Amino acid sequence: MKRAKNLYSYYMIYPALLIYSIFFVIPAIAGFYYSFTDWRLDRLELQFIGWDNFKKIFSDKTLILALQNTAIFAIVTVIGKNVIGLLLAVGLNMRLRTKNLLRAIFYSPSILSILVISILFTPMLRTEGTINNLLEAVGLHSLSQAWLTNPSIVIWTIAIVSIWQSAGFQMAIYLAGLQSISQEYYEAATIDGASSWKSFFKITLPLLLPAININLMLTLIGGLKVFSEVYVMTGGGPGNASQVVGTIILRSFGEGNWGLGTAVNTLLFVVVTIIAIPLLIFMRRKEVTE
Amino acid sequence: MGYTRKLAIRNYIVEGFLILASLIVLLPLVILIFGSFKTSAEVLSFSLSLPDTWQFSNYARVFEEGGLSRAFLNSIWITGVSSIINIVASSAASFILARRETKASGAIYMYFFMGLIAPMSIITTIRVVQGLGFYGSITSVILIYAALNTAFSVFLYSGFIKTIPRALDEVAFLEGASVFGVFFRIVTPLILPVNATVAIMVFMSVWNDITIPVYFLTDSSTWTMPLSIYNFYGKYSRDWNLIFANLVLTSLPVFILYLFGQKYIVSGLTAGAVKG
Repeated sequence: MKRAKNLYSYYMIYPALLIYSIFFVIPAIAGFYYSFTDWRLDRLELQFIGWDNFKKIFSDKTLILALQNTAIFAIVTVIGKNVIGLLLAVGLNMRLRTKNLLRAIFYSPSILSILVISILFTPMLRTEGTINNLLEAVGLHSLSQAWLTNPSIVIWTIAIVSIWQSAGFQMAIYLAGLQSISQEYYEAATIDGASSWKSFFKITLPLLLPAININLMLTLIGGLKVFSEVYVMTGGGPGNASQVVGTIILRSFGEGNWGLGTAVNTLLFVVVTIIAIPLLIFMRRKEVTE
Repeated sequence: MGYTRKLAIRNYIVEGFLILASLIVLLPLVILIFGSFKTSAEVLSFSLSLPDTWQFSNYARVFEEGGLSRAFLNSIWITGVSSIINIVASSAASFILARRETKASGAIYMYFFMGLIAPMSIITTIRVVQGLGFYGSITSVILIYAALNTAFSVFLYSGFIKTIPRALDEVAFLEGASVFGVFFRIVTPLILPVNATVAIMVFMSVWNDITIPVYFLTDSSTWTMPLSIYNFYGKYSRDWNLIFANLVLTSLPVFILYLFGQKYIVSGLTAGAVKG
């Protein structure tokens, strides 16, 4: 048996390991080092400046706003995509005549580029745009808004567009999870006289934990890495109202503030890891006990 | 009987509600498609109306003025080659990782897995690529995409390969096959469905991406479809009909791929993500 194990020689791992290390891991590790330097486009000699970049981040109003916006975007999209995705999946797991068509419709936006979605929604979200016209047509004047130019709601608008695009993808994963649950559980519960609500909370949700786990991770990490929708729809504006970590990195890169930009990235790295790893461990443990 | 009828009524209500909800998804897409066939004045209402006359010429204009043929070829090349590199390298690595149950292989798996979580460090990646001497080239973007998707692919492949009985390999080894032979002759045919899943997921994410091109493709001759369209959007901000035609064109390849690959997306997600 020992011999057979060694037949699987490691050299088949090397190509993937090499590409991944050079173009992902080495830059990430280098990023940690450069975060503590005054690395700039116009300066070749690097100086180690300790925590200065991080102090700068937390004393700069725009940068703090960007961190705040990233957090709002992540939280709103995690909740929105998962709640809507789960509701759609539960509905479309019933015996409906149009279920295949409806599944395809709800899934369709998630195969499109964020660029396509963002450009499409930009004119529709204007003050005189489609969304406001529709709201007025159904008598909801009061909800009519300057969706992308009102600084206090712009990040929410972008989050809602993101939910619109990808709730269908979360739905697909939830559907896959639902279909792996054996019908026998529900039959037994029905015989025992359990209500639909009760079987949903006692059977569906616990057995759906692997799907919930993967969806929470995907939406949370995706939300913290947000860039393209903001870049295309507002460019971080109006003013700096919708800046997020991703657009701040682009700005620092453009201005030649490489050390600072890298520090912002490192901060994102640390935050994502601190949130994701305990969540991952917690979820895995829950799955095992079920 | 009463219970069945109650269920039937409930299903009708749910179905009616879902059909209404599907309009929220459908309407913007219909506005996009109709808009791409309208005149530049007509499109400005961004409404659901059908075009007065169908302007097929929008598409021809977009191709000529937007220089899309070049961008289209760039996109095909970048997406195709990075997907192939990713599939071959990740499936080979996952095969070994799934089969060797040593501490080292567990550590390497975690090393790959971190890539699912950690965000890439863009500015330092640019420096690495500059150091290697091919910043701004299509090759750099291909390799970056292959690297970025490694974590996800290894995750899906190793989950699936673990379900293939090891006895198959052992018989082949006894017959004198090499590890290479076992991988290509026995494992590869068995993981074809996951290959399809990974191919579709990687293709879609690379084709649709705009972040990497924004940073790494500095010369317009190397631009991908999304980047060309972003540029076109800046220049022709009045001609929404042309912009919409552009958006439809860039979505068409992934849409066609989706139509053919639909079943692999769901089956692959089930095998890899949900059960794995």
